[in-house]
Amino acid sequence: MEEFIFRTATINDVPFLVETIIEAEKSGSNILSWTTIFGLSESDSKRYLSDMLKEEIDGCELSISSFLVAETKGQVVAALSAWIEGENNESSAFLKGNLLSYILPNDCIQKASVIQPLLQEIHIDYIPGSIQKGAGYVAKDYRHRDLFRLLTDEIIGKLLKRNPSVTDAYTQIYGSNIAAIKANQKADFKIVMVKESPNEEILRYVPSNKKVLMKKELYK
Amino acid sequence: MEKTEVTEKLALILRKVLNNDSLVLRDDMTASDVDNWDSLSHMIIINDIETVFSIKFKLKDLNKMRNVGNMIEIIISKL
Repeated sequence: MEEFIFRTATINDVPFLVETIIEAEKSGSNILSWTTIFGLSESDSKRYLSDMLKEEIDGCELSISSFLVAETKGQVVAALSAWIEGENNESSAFLKGNLLSYILPNDCIQKASVIQPLLQEIHIDYIPGSIQKGAGYVAKDYRHRDLFRLLTDEIIGKLLKRNPSVTDAYTQIYGSNIAAIKANQKADFKIVMVKESPNEEILRYVPSNKKVLMKKELYK
Repeated sequence: MEKTEVTEKLALILRKVLNNDSLVLRDDMTASDVDNWDSLSHMIIINDIETVFSIKFKLKDLNKMRNVGNMIEIIISKL
């Protein structure tokens, strides 16, 4: 049986982390919000994501330190991000928004500002003090080996060790991503909220007009 | 520029971007206190601040921002 090592990501893993963020954003569709919202090509999106990760700002979904990777035979084959929302009084919305505003060209920000009110229709706020699970991805050849659940357990365990007072973990998933919803149910997450926009124009920018909030209670 | 004037201009930006006409700023206010203050909104807020105040932040300036009070202090320090 193949052995996997789980470890915190490093700057050398950035290309795989970029792939993880891109695939998680696509959620099994062909729509990449980085291209539709910011007007970027996929290759430029990857370049800017790489630049943002390499700033090594901790505490949000664009932080290298938020990612745990699974490695086998010296090759990274899966990754998952999670962080404690508002840890050290730092809001992840501030941290990620700062990176976006600092790295992205001004015309991308202008384009996004026109679309932002529409995207708010499916926005769900992060809950301070809880674990937020972000982008996750398992390379095709390594699926159906329970890696996603193992990574979820490892990353939650790691964050709980750092802050044992955390009681809940959450993840937000596009409603169309049935595979991710099922994978999270397998990792003991339950659907606690669905936010849906009646405006189908939103489907021009993101993979679904529905966002699902899933929660796992962390029993001590 | 006085703190009051900076606060008033910042309030106008936040009300517009967060689509909340009745928003009243507090120094300890942060993203979790206001609906819809997500990363995309924050990116637009920062961009609008730079335009309105004719300033340019460095990333290390931005990452000192923990709440509205910090934002005001950092804006003033750049003027």
